Amino acid sequence: MKSAVTTVITAADAAGRFPSLSDLEAVKESFTRAAARMQAAEKLAAGIDNVTADALNAVYNDGKYDQATRDKCARDIHHYLRLISYCLVVGGTGPLDEWGIAGMREVFRTLGIPTTAYIEAFVHIRNRVCVPRDMDQKAADEFKALIDYLINALS
Amino acid sequence: MLDAFSRAVVSADAKGVCLGSDELAALRRHVADANIRIDATNAISQNISCIAADAVSGMVCENAGMTQPGGNCYPTRRMAACLRDGEIILRYVSYALLAGDPSVLDDRCLNGLKDTYLALGVPIKNAVRAVTIMKAATVAIITDTNSGPSAFKDISGKGSDCKNIAAEAASYFDRVINSLS
Repeated sequence: MKSAVTTVITAADAAGRFPSLSDLEAVKESFTRAAARMQAAEKLAAGIDNVTADALNAVYNDGKYDQATRDKCARDIHHYLRLISYCLVVGGTGPLDEWGIAGMREVFRTLGIPTTAYIEAFVHIRNRVCVPRDMDQKAADEFKALIDYLINALS
Repeated sequence: MLDAFSRAVVSADAKGVCLGSDELAALRRHVADANIRIDATNAISQNISCIAADAVSGMVCENAGMTQPGGNCYPTRRMAACLRDGEIILRYVSYALLAGDPSVLDDRCLNGLKDTYLALGVPIKNAVRAVTIMKAATVAIITDTNSGPSAFKDISGKGSDCKNIAAEAASYFDRVINSLS
């Protein structure tokens, strides 16, 4: 799975070389960012239900979308947020790529699901992150970068 | 391929939950010890021939017939293959040590290795012996016991500080030995 460390190892293995100094530098760099990522993952895990509920209200309360889809939308947003928390832990987009984005387009197209509701929800979540109430600046940056990554994949 | 972080994520995903505080605390300890891990990996990278080539030649010295006609390391083409394999196994051990997880070693090195050796007529007993010597040399270099401080400058901590990481490296060699025997 693609993470900060496995990306480096995959590249070293493709070249058949032992971990070089620059490989080790790259791993070290990812470890220095780990504290912020872990904090974001921890805060997100603690507030994942509230964040989901808040995003749902923002999307559904103006009556633009069919209320019947509300529960399923809640389930999916919760699922994507969980995958984002995994990405924060590993320091790469592997969990989102493998468990959230691969096949997503095909499923949405086949089932006729409008992705705009999801995009609105995640834009809302991104804009609602408040520093320092929710998490530190660095943690928020890591979190927002992953939400942007997901929004790009959805749009 | 997994690392310590993605291993924790995979097991959390199987339960469908976010990582709990216990798992995050374990990963934070992993991050706190990162410098020791990186230095230990670097210690391997900087002592490749000291570990791999010496282990293979040591094993050959113990079995004098190997380089004679009819021996498994005769002619030099086969000795070269043997040296190369020692280095490859060491390389995957160094990846596993850097990742903090043995999956890269299992998937990319050990999977099918024993069958390959049996098919090629490589004596398993001698291969295991070479890996055993590599294990001893690696543990010694990581804990800096046999080569003195000059062999590897600026390593994080000495001796007992590196005990855990040396034990982890030893466990990856044991994995190689178990999978071959």
